[in-house]
Amino acid sequence: MFRKILIANRGEIALRVILACKELGIKTVAVHSTADADALHVKFADEDVCIGPPPSRDSYLNISAVLSAAEITGAEAIHPGYGFLSENAHFAEVCREVGLTFIGPSPDVIRRMGDKAEAIRVARGAGVPTIPGSDGVLQSEEHAREIAERIGYPVLIKASAGGGGRGMRVVADADELVRLVEAASHEANASFGVPDVYMEKYLTQPRHVEVQVLGDTHGNLIHLFERECSIQRRHQKLVEESPSTALDAELRARMTRAALDAARAVDYVNAGTIEFLLDVTGEFYFIEMNTRIQVEHPVTEMVTGIDLIKEQIRIAAGEPISFSQEDLKIGGHAIECRINAEDPDTFAPSPGKIRTFHVPGGPGIRVDTASYAEAFVPPYYDSMIAKVIAHGNTRGEAILRMRRALESFVVEGIRTNVKLQQRILTDEDFVRGRLSTRFMDRFVPAPRG
Amino acid sequence: MDAKELRELIELISKSNFVTFELEREGFKLKLEKGGAAAPAPQIVVASAPVAAPPQPSPSALAPASTAPPAPADPEEVAAGGLVELTSPIVGTFYRQPSPTAAPFVEPGSRVKKGQVLCIIEAMKLMNEIEAEMDAEVVEILVANGQPVEYGEVLFLLRPMVS
Repeated sequence: MFRKILIANRGEIALRVILACKELGIKTVAVHSTADADALHVKFADEDVCIGPPPSRDSYLNISAVLSAAEITGAEAIHPGYGFLSENAHFAEVCREVGLTFIGPSPDVIRRMGDKAEAIRVARGAGVPTIPGSDGVLQSEEHAREIAERIGYPVLIKASAGGGGRGMRVVADADELVRLVEAASHEANASFGVPDVYMEKYLTQPRHVEVQVLGDTHGNLIHLFERECSIQRRHQKLVEESPSTALDAELRARMTRAALDAARAVDYVNAGTIEFLLDVTGEFYFIEMNTRIQVEHPVTEMVTGIDLIKEQIRIAAGEPISFSQEDLKIGGHAIECRINAEDPDTFAPSPGKIRTFHVPGGPGIRVDTASYAEAFVPPYYDSMIAKVIAHGNTRGEAILRMRRALESFVVEGIRTNVKLQQRILTDEDFVRGRLSTRFMDRFVPAPRG
Repeated sequence: MDAKELRELIELISKSNFVTFELEREGFKLKLEKGGAAAPAPQIVVASAPVAAPPQPSPSALAPASTAPPAPADPEEVAAGGLVELTSPIVGTFYRQPSPTAAPFVEPGSRVKKGQVLCIIEAMKLMNEIEAEMDAEVVEILVANGQPVEYGEVLFLLRPMVS
């Protein structure tokens, strides 16, 4: 086992890793920017090194500064957390070259699964369903028509060079096809200088359901069931839960098997997540893999009783996973709400000094946070300041616990989205488990004044 | 713990980057807190003696030190007495001489020209030469040879020379 680990991250996840290290008897090194000199991860680590000025690219993303900090403190391994350098294959490679253990999969696997097109090829090769589509640029009207007939309307036209919704059109039926493909192509050309567009099946009300996997260097590969993360705003998840209300035993068996097939195709080692879109028809499609620990990992920990961070560290040290697939079962229900420093109505970020910080507690409540009263929330980084996780024997109990926890979560000095979370937790569709990635469309920014 | 040990401890903490320090032994509890600022560096350098401003035990030691915006990242800051701090631009190991057998680049009292090398910071096997940004006199060298340094740690106190 390692004697000393450097945590190349900040905020609640850096603290979460420190707690796991304490339980494993491992010394910790925190790194921080000058903006985070008073941060809790710095206070609770055994050692700390200031690695640069506030901007991430000069500190938390500065590979040579992070490695120098590991060198001068004698750390043997680096836990990257999530975000920052966690899915940077080059960083994982340099760690290996200088003899440091990167707590995560190999650089090669990070690179392959980080390339969206390659990841989809891997999944398809492993027999895992992916969203049907043109598999490349649309060549002609006829070509477009042929594919649309095959995969069924509605279809989505997307710019090959795309991003940000530009060059994107939803086509409801055959009559609109030619006109909208042309419009998308024009827009793509105007936005990206490339007129190429491709087509895929459009899912009207999909759910985002992901499967947690763990692999070790002894050839063991297991899954820890699913998390439903449909409640998102601009691709940022807001509420996550496990298990999903949309899965029965049969569908769960199929999705977890597919996740293991995809992970096995790259001999996956350490913690990873396979993300799927689940259609109302019960069909599911691989969309991507995250080759790191995720923000929402606590809901899985709460229902399985497994400490995923400690498993990550053990696996990186060459130990086998400490339990088997047969040992696992879903115990109750867990929900996580992300608390962000932002206006609950306008969603505008709200950095600044926290004056009051009262964290909820009581049965079934866990709060992962690195915030405290008098702390300063810097404007340079992610706006998430806490995660509240509620566990109950049933989903109903978890919801009731989350509601009373949010009621007693008091943050003053900055604005938070606690009220927005309360609205979600009392929403009828949420309570009934009727979720889709369009859920937040109803929660548009309120008009000012 | 006797007076000598205590003094050594305080000196050690003063030179470190800790803002607060707590020690608990049987029947004995010690809490040290550096006075006030987010950036520990300026306090160390205001005094021309090597020992920092004395840490003050404080009942509110758990309160975070500052609400001030993050410490300025400028490589050089004007300290008291017209002295300028030269801080480390990177994390690494501080070396006073170009090789283990060579003479140090500078000594206290050395007069240096703008662009002259003052020390080396080794980071990832790369030797980064740190240069003076002005004509100056070296007043004090605050880091020992071979010591690890953080980003922003004060390495030298310089007195700018007007030509």
